[in-house]
Amino acid sequence: MPASASPNGTPVGALLAAALALPGMMATVAHAESVPDAGQIAFKYLDYRDWQPGADRMRVKSPSLYILKPLPDSFAVEGTLVYDGMSGASPRYYNSLSGASGQGVTDYRTAGDVKVTKYFERVSVGIGGAVSSERDYLSRAASLDVRVSTPDNNRTWAFGIAGTGDVINSVNGVAENQRRHTLDVLLGVTQVWSADAIVQSNLTYSTGHGYYSDPYKLLDTRPDRRRVLAWLTRANRYLPTYDATVQLSYRLLSDSFGTTSNTVEIAWVQALPAGWSVTPSLRYYTQNSADFYYNPPFPRGYVNGQHYTADTRLSAFGALTPGVWVIKRFADGWSADVKLEYSRQSSAWRLGGSGSPGIETFSARWIQAGIAKTF
Amino acid sequence: MALYRYPFRAMATDDELQLATGDEARARRAAEAAIADVRRIEAKYSRYRDDSVTTAINRGAGGAAVAIDDETLALLRYAGRCHRLSGGLFDITSGVLRRVWDFKRTPPSVPTAAALAAATALIGWGDVEWDERTLRLPRAGMEIDFGGIGKEYAADRAATICAEHGIMHALVNLGGDVRAVGPQEDGTPWHVGIRHPRRDAAAIAEVALAAGAVATSGDYERYFELDGRRYCHLLNPRTGMPAAHWQSISVVAPLCVVAGSCATIAMLLEAEAPAFLDAQGVSWIGVDAQGRTKGPAAPR
Repeated sequence: MPASASPNGTPVGALLAAALALPGMMATVAHAESVPDAGQIAFKYLDYRDWQPGADRMRVKSPSLYILKPLPDSFAVEGTLVYDGMSGASPRYYNSLSGASGQGVTDYRTAGDVKVTKYFERVSVGIGGAVSSERDYLSRAASLDVRVSTPDNNRTWAFGIAGTGDVINSVNGVAENQRRHTLDVLLGVTQVWSADAIVQSNLTYSTGHGYYSDPYKLLDTRPDRRRVLAWLTRANRYLPTYDATVQLSYRLLSDSFGTTSNTVEIAWVQALPAGWSVTPSLRYYTQNSADFYYNPPFPRGYVNGQHYTADTRLSAFGALTPGVWVIKRFADGWSADVKLEYSRQSSAWRLGGSGSPGIETFSARWIQAGIAKTF
Repeated sequence: MALYRYPFRAMATDDELQLATGDEARARRAAEAAIADVRRIEAKYSRYRDDSVTTAINRGAGGAAVAIDDETLALLRYAGRCHRLSGGLFDITSGVLRRVWDFKRTPPSVPTAAALAAATALIGWGDVEWDERTLRLPRAGMEIDFGGIGKEYAADRAATICAEHGIMHALVNLGGDVRAVGPQEDGTPWHVGIRHPRRDAAAIAEVALAAGAVATSGDYERYFELDGRRYCHLLNPRTGMPAAHWQSISVVAPLCVVAGSCATIAMLLEAEAPAFLDAQGVSWIGVDAQGRTKGPAAPR
């Protein structure tokens, strides 16, 4: 079984094909704005560590709690609480000044966000707020997003706007009541390509002004305006033969600091029997350096007050991040998952040009474990 | 999350919706909309109602053409496809045989050859004159009947309505025609028992349904026994005689309307059923005349 044709020569499954022409056989809102039909509570614990050869840098232990609750009248409310405990040194940016930055620091961050979404037939409107607090940093944000589905429900448009206000009071007194304001605008589209394929593309423009420098880095002086344009495209395709989904994504990000980065990621979501799924993934990231990034050692001809940074995050480099994510779903709506990612970043791995010299390879790893329950 | 059950009666059968969701108000809205649609289809196509589409068409037999709407046209097209693929065995004009087969009569009797010939002369989907707007039964006394697909069609539509209300885990059961919307809330398939064709409340097999549908056609719904032979309501439109090869056939297919029509055709095809079912790409369980289970979905 099955034969390639029935005795009278019609194709396999001819009746199914004929039945699909009946009205109401297929849900027309499979991807439309549907209210979540179950609540969810998830607890996750992240352990992050990064290091450079011969030196442990930063360690973060971060428990978080996520709750989603559908409410009457097609409302849903969701929120997250995060507590980060950080210890260690902030990254050592170049070998020649080893130890210049940071005696060991211990810090914490608490953050929370909440979002309320109202679902209409083809439209959803969400209003959110978020607060993040550290010893030297306070950030508050508000957001509004609107999603609109087309009548055939194969396409969804997303519009979003968010404002963020930050206050920076560095422990070392370099930054006192420094502020930064950012406005983000998002336009996105999600298109159902076929029963097994979906494509999403988002364009984000962000404009901000205020204090962008790193108060803990020597002479770090950055422009007081930053504009960022980011374009993210993702495609998911289900492969019935393997009972797996392949996920591809590409992100282009360009900002007024002069950095342009490209990120590509591929993941393979393999469904397995007994509620297991395994997702190996690989991400490649490459960026050029900011206009005002200077390779170590300290640049000759430096004029006091000019834009200057030696932050490795603004240098030219490439990074590879392999990862694996294992999920097990139990009966009664319980699930547990473990995610491992390891990242290695090196100036030699930059694509389309040489990387910034003089920087040691930087490694980081994430271990995240979580349990969740739908109710 | 909780499982909300909505039993109801429609189409002369005991029906039930099982909806798993965390939002009871939503479950109720979905169930109300789905049940309303089942009742709408029943009212529109019931041959027992004076104001139904079916009655209007049958009343016009031998007379003028009757106007049909898009939904009726779609059902007629599907019925026509079943007719063609079954070599004429699936025929929505074969309901006239009910006039000569009385399964409630005591003592029971087999119709005479003359009576069967008179009835089969009024059968013939191929003779029906129809286009996209109208339909006409050419001979007085002819009739059509959506009984072979209407309930299954209603089950599929009820499933779609649940999905459109955001219910991702649901089981629709219209008198044994079962359609799933997704698996159970924990991701495991629904377990649908297949009725034992000779024992009332017993199951002979089980089908695990993570999506799609299962429908059964059997010789036990309406029948009588005479001289050691069982005469059931599944009647061959050419001979007018009941199908005899299988006690029941259950078909697992993506849509309930496909499962139901395949099961009916398979019963009428008798020994040729396996080849037909395999060619339709469906899975199935048959119980043969000796009570043995057959087919790819049969228990091993």
